[in-house]
Amino acid sequence: MRGAWLVMKKEFLELSKDRKTLFFMFVMPLILYPALFGMMSKMHERDESQRKGKPSRIHVVDPSSTLIPILQADAKDFQLVPDPGEDMQKALRDKKLDLSLEVPASAADDLKAQRTIKVTAFYNKSEDDSTEAFSRLDEMLKAQRDIWVKARLQEAKAPADLAAPTAIVERDASDETLEKQKLLGILVPYIVLIAMFGPIMGQGSGMTAGERERGTLMSLLSTRIPRSQIALGKLMALFALGVLGMASNVLAISFSANSMIGHPAAPAGAAAQASSSLLQVASPGTLGLMFLVLVPVALVMVSFVLTVGIRAKTQREAATALMPGMFVIVVLGVFSMSPGLENMTVIHFVPIINASMSIREMFGQQFNWGHYLLAIGINSALAAIFTYVAAKTLDREDVLFKS
Amino acid sequence: MIQLRDVHKSFDVRDRKTRTKKRVDAVQGISLQVQPGEIYGLLGPNGAGKTTSLRMIAGLMKPDQGSIEVCGLDTRTQGEEVRGRLAYLATDMQVYERFTPREQLRIFGEMQGVEPATAERRGVHLLERLGLADFADVKMTTFSTGQKQKVNIARALLHDPKAVIFDEPTTGLDVLTAKTELDLLKIMKSEGRAVIVCTHALPMAEEICDRIGIIFDGKLHGDAPPRELLRSRGARSLDEVFFQLAGESEAAIA
Repeated sequence: MRGAWLVMKKEFLELSKDRKTLFFMFVMPLILYPALFGMMSKMHERDESQRKGKPSRIHVVDPSSTLIPILQADAKDFQLVPDPGEDMQKALRDKKLDLSLEVPASAADDLKAQRTIKVTAFYNKSEDDSTEAFSRLDEMLKAQRDIWVKARLQEAKAPADLAAPTAIVERDASDETLEKQKLLGILVPYIVLIAMFGPIMGQGSGMTAGERERGTLMSLLSTRIPRSQIALGKLMALFALGVLGMASNVLAISFSANSMIGHPAAPAGAAAQASSSLLQVASPGTLGLMFLVLVPVALVMVSFVLTVGIRAKTQREAATALMPGMFVIVVLGVFSMSPGLENMTVIHFVPIINASMSIREMFGQQFNWGHYLLAIGINSALAAIFTYVAAKTLDREDVLFKS
Repeated sequence: MIQLRDVHKSFDVRDRKTRTKKRVDAVQGISLQVQPGEIYGLLGPNGAGKTTSLRMIAGLMKPDQGSIEVCGLDTRTQGEEVRGRLAYLATDMQVYERFTPREQLRIFGEMQGVEPATAERRGVHLLERLGLADFADVKMTTFSTGQKQKVNIARALLHDPKAVIFDEPTTGLDVLTAKTELDLLKIMKSEGRAVIVCTHALPMAEEICDRIGIIFDGKLHGDAPPRELLRSRGARSLDEVFFQLAGESEAAIA
């Protein structure tokens, strides 16, 4: 076992000399995530405030001028625009206006005769500005309806409450922390999977095919350290790097959590304020359980990378061979974010993704020991198989000495 | 000290044209013995089986047939112990360029089971002997081929091996660096180590080797002191012996 520790020490000593890699692996996420999510949050806030601050452009056809004066009176929310002179659907798609309203010619008479006025609104649901215009119109019509109903009741000398047999008082029972936890439960496994595989892939190809290409692998093999321990040492070093990479990314997510979950972003420098955000929604126990379930996943990744890397002649060949693995991880990560997965029993038997699901359950306060242990068991078994294959591959003369 | 008995080794090679595997006999029944304080020169053309033989002696490859012993240890079953008593230096071995020579020697000393203090002392001594003491703490990215080769030699000798195998040690080196290496080989001989040198530099082999074996097509020819080899073949130089053997080999194949 001493040989494995020495190989691991050698790998870390070598990595410690490569400051650029260290920066990109551990420091970059701490800068990038808060900056990226902070920027996205700011842009979203800016869009929202711009949308709320400007009036909706509405074209109104109202021959009896029943609604036009009301809309004109609310200049803050509505701006009446002329007929675009083309197909209304196209005009809405081209953003020449936000909504078109057609009020029947009989509207004034209907109002007097106390009949329902049926208005037609054209809007584009896929555009935020158009949806906002519809929402404003709906609010305005509701308010106007209340005014007209009250007037009619007054005219009929009936009590005002006649039109309001019920009234509802809203009390929000949603748990803001749980909402944050659920969202993080979906996002964190995806980011963590990619954040772990990235450094493992990059460094793993360097530790295997890279060593062969640089001509240092033979020096290592010529020592008295058994090959199984060389493989184990590299596996340990890669695993540690993967875990450190993951920790760095989780920390970065923590710094960015406020921005990610739609709250005002904490300033990038306010580490103390920001770092508390993930801990607000995830207890140290949850984070510890998350770490444990990811350990066998990291081992699966590490042993897979070692097996592929040892067989490659050059670092470039190894990187090319490992790229589909990265693609699989991204797809699995995206898949793990899909809604409704938690109801599929079979998903808890699928390696890697079952760990994501377990983390999702943890954050969503639906922790299930059975699913958790199943994820650890299945991923550990897969890691053991890959580790065995990696160690055997490093012992094969045709692999080590191929030219 | 180093003993090979009827060693065979073959590989599967894929023929890209016919998409079939074929068996290539790289080493065919080689037997030789190298005593302590002796330099054995292993010569032969490219692809003759020299490097495969050396890798088997170093315990990096296992013979298909026959046996190899180094310091009384079987390389097939005691590969790790063999490498603990043997220095192996090959052309395809490079240094860890991000390390300084001192760092590389320290970590490899530990890997070879040498106490850190001893590794430090021996490392400094070897670097001094190789003229690299002033560069002990300089990153090796800026080192010349010769300087890197010297660090590799120091790395190989750090654990005070009883047997030494150098595969083409002077390839790509300037005359001065090559001479330093040759002097070192002579010192190792005088210290009682068993040395095998594999080289294409025939005059050098003639000068420093006590015995010479020439490998052609995986088979050992000669295995005698240089002068005896020349006399038995009626040749004036090793080059001439080499050409004779090449001719015989081609005739045998034809």
